[in-house]
Amino acid sequence: MTCLLRVRGLTKTVGAGRVARCVLDGVDVDVAAGELVAVVGPSGSGKSTLLHLAGGLDEPDAGDVEIAGTRLRGRSDTALARLRARHLGFVFQAFHLVPELSGEENVRLAARFGRTRTQARARAAELIDAMGLRAVAGSHPAQLSGGEQRRFAVARALVNDPVLVLADEPTGNLDAESGALVLSLLRAATRHGRGVLVVTHDPAVTTSADRVLALSDGHLR
Amino acid sequence: MVIFAAALAVGAAGSVGYALATGFARAAERADQPDVIVRFAPQRRSVLDERLRRLPNVQRISYRLEVSGVGLAAGGHVRGNAAVDVVEDGRRGYAIMAGHDLGSGPGEALVDRGVARAWNLRAGDEIRVGRLGTLRIAGVALAVDNVAFPLATVPRVYVTEREIQRRFGRERDPAVNLGLLWLADPNRLDVTLAAARPAVFGLRTEQLLTRRGVRQTIDQAAGIVIALLAVFGLVAAACAGAILAAAAGADVRRRAPLLGVQRALGASRRRVVAEQVLGTVFVAAPAAALGLTLGALVAAGPTLALLGFLNETAPGADLLGPLAGALVGLVAVVAAGAGWPAWRLNRRPVSTLLRSGDLIPPPTRRRTRGRPGLALLGARFATARRGRWLSSVAVLGVAGAAVLLVLAVAGLLVSLRDDPGTLGRRYALTVAGDASDLPAVRAVRGVAGADQRSTIEAADSFALTEPMRVIAYGADHVPFESPPLASGRRLRSAREVEVGTFLADTLGLRPGGQLALQPATGRELRFQVVGIVRALENDGRVVYARSAPFRRDDPGLGGPIAIRLAPGADRAQVARRLAQAGFGGRVAGAATPHDRSFLGVLAAVLRTVAMAIGLVCLAAVAQTLALTTRDRRRALAVLRAAGASRRALSAVLAGAAGALLLPALVIAVALERLVLGPAVARLAADYAVLPLGVGAGEALGVGAGAVLVGAVAVLVVTRSAGREPVAAGLERED
Repeated sequence: MTCLLRVRGLTKTVGAGRVARCVLDGVDVDVAAGELVAVVGPSGSGKSTLLHLAGGLDEPDAGDVEIAGTRLRGRSDTALARLRARHLGFVFQAFHLVPELSGEENVRLAARFGRTRTQARARAAELIDAMGLRAVAGSHPAQLSGGEQRRFAVARALVNDPVLVLADEPTGNLDAESGALVLSLLRAATRHGRGVLVVTHDPAVTTSADRVLALSDGHLR
Repeated sequence: MVIFAAALAVGAAGSVGYALATGFARAAERADQPDVIVRFAPQRRSVLDERLRRLPNVQRISYRLEVSGVGLAAGGHVRGNAAVDVVEDGRRGYAIMAGHDLGSGPGEALVDRGVARAWNLRAGDEIRVGRLGTLRIAGVALAVDNVAFPLATVPRVYVTEREIQRRFGRERDPAVNLGLLWLADPNRLDVTLAAARPAVFGLRTEQLLTRRGVRQTIDQAAGIVIALLAVFGLVAAACAGAILAAAAGADVRRRAPLLGVQRALGASRRRVVAEQVLGTVFVAAPAAALGLTLGALVAAGPTLALLGFLNETAPGADLLGPLAGALVGLVAVVAAGAGWPAWRLNRRPVSTLLRSGDLIPPPTRRRTRGRPGLALLGARFATARRGRWLSSVAVLGVAGAAVLLVLAVAGLLVSLRDDPGTLGRRYALTVAGDASDLPAVRAVRGVAGADQRSTIEAADSFALTEPMRVIAYGADHVPFESPPLASGRRLRSAREVEVGTFLADTLGLRPGGQLALQPATGRELRFQVVGIVRALENDGRVVYARSAPFRRDDPGLGGPIAIRLAPGADRAQVARRLAQAGFGGRVAGAATPHDRSFLGVLAAVLRTVAMAIGLVCLAAVAQTLALTTRDRRRALAVLRAAGASRRALSAVLAGAAGALLLPALVIAVALERLVLGPAVARLAADYAVLPLGVGAGEALGVGAGAVLVGAVAVLVVTRSAGREPVAAGLERED
């Protein structure tokens, strides 16, 4: 199977001097096409940091990250932006929808970096319909429920048809029904050959994952 | 950065304003300027002394003989209209700026500072002074009784009475024509003046000039512009203060959760506010000190040149006091800007503070059609905080209007220097010649009209202290020179005159009134005033007349031939043809040659101030963008996570900059055209009609400047935002 994410020897220390703390200490992880991998661990163990480093949102102290065969180390800011637009989708723990834009505009905004105008419009509409959000597509984030915001965030992550989705607590703070819907969407993404790396505390997600990795003391087991 | 830029603007505008506002007093103090200068026709010293000694409140009197029309030659320059002041021992009423004062040494002279600068003379150089022959320059003197040469047309040198006696023999009771009076109590000047009039009765008194009168004379040289500079300094300071307060306030609001935590941990409201203020002062003080210093240094060159023209001295170390005051003021503004919102924020419940880190007002737009543009998104980001957006737009609008006005004034000064039309002059060339040359000049191709333009220095017969300049043409002056009529009509005969507004106000003249004038040479002439004109020449102390009445007493009355060009004629070509016909043509400028460099210096000072205000604008835009970026850090990080490149980020910030600059530009143009321009033009209405409304070209120029300012600000902020890891913008939540 094609390896979409390859992480080797990833090390990251946060803070400096006496308060420095090594949150990732030589972490290795692979995500293959069609695979949903869950990462669990206590709060503060470095799960979100791992996700950020895997997506090129931060620079590691040591180690390498490859996405769809492309090594991130040494790439320019522009090249990383292009790679994220074409190959990566993010679902953030706190949704991070742009408050001035409607749900649908949030989805289309992400599409403008990876697709043409027509494609973006069509794909955004398709995802919004698929997630049952048509009725609230014109509403702003402040007017949406937590579950609706989460679904828009997932739609935004999928709108460019990325090969790899990185999701941070995608079902956190959701009721069971909404959580199940989000999980089904991510699972559906793997069926189209995408890889999904999920950071979670939710047993429902770990149950559904192909593999579960535990992060503790900077090491992944 | 914003504190530095604002301090730079305040430093530049403030140091120019302070130097000009205090320049006269400083120079007068240094030069031991007399409280009263009395100018007589030459009298025996003993006769004058006998009268002036009796005046009350007089502490000390010194006498001089001022001889005019003396030939002067030095450093390759020659003038035939110099004044030689013969001074006696004691108080002399000038300051020595270089070299040493005149003593008992033979063959020495002092030169006026303006002459030394214009002719590049130094102590030790030689100067040829009329019949005195070649003298060695002992030093450079500064007297504050007029503007400097060459703005004042007469170059001046000083020699001692001893030197005159050495050359021409001893005279027991020499003639003098200037009395310099120092008063015991300058505040009781009116008592002395009241007694002076009967005391000098019978003597031919030409002028009685007080220190205040001298100041007015000097201020007339640049009065409007100096007043404008002071206004611009205030505008720059106000804009800087508003920006600083807005920035400091925004910073405090951003730290609201931290304030909440401090309060939750038991810190009192007063302590939290004090810590905010102290932290802000700690950052603001060094930045403000650096900006003020640099601003003062930037403005120092043009200011020094301007002060030189006005015969005034630079403030030097005296400027440190006002700069220190400005530093305290700026830091106080920043401290107040931080303290007041911190105080207000702290009145909220602690729980509200803890939640208010990323307050975003609820959206007002319900729905948007189409894909959201990045620039539009940026504009929405900028306008999300309505209060800050409005205050930033207002500050930029006012600052932009000030820049437009400064540029309009600077442009006007350049026009005054180069374009005869600004003063109502319609002639484009002058040639040397007399009335008999007129037919030959008129015959040259491209010449539409020619007439001799004579200028006669005169005084009002009833108030000899009111000098005026008569501009006389052989026939109608309007085809050659037509300053706008304020009231009345144009002159139609040799018995009628038009009078400048300033002179009319001074002498109480109205159309229908009589003007009796005394030419410098010749007998008194009387004219009927038929019109009042707005003229800038000679500060509006002008009279337009026909030359015939003056020729009766002075048949040799001369003056250049003014030439009006035919429509479409090329000035340079006509000048060449005139030269071929034996007439050396000279391009007519609006300013007299000695005013030209002065106007250039004034324009340079104004442009320096405009640049300083422009920097404030740049700082305001950059600051607002930086604050917007900081507020919308997470949204921008999300865009970058979704694949937005640095260029896309620039597009967002360009939209935010546009949301600030476009409305500000509209406000600036409207404010300048409808309020500032007309208001300043009204200030100058006594002198002339000044076109200070901003034109389309200037508005476009400032628009282009705004685009440039926006582009620079976007570039700086994008670089800064792009350097931050995306993850830092998203905030770690694990």
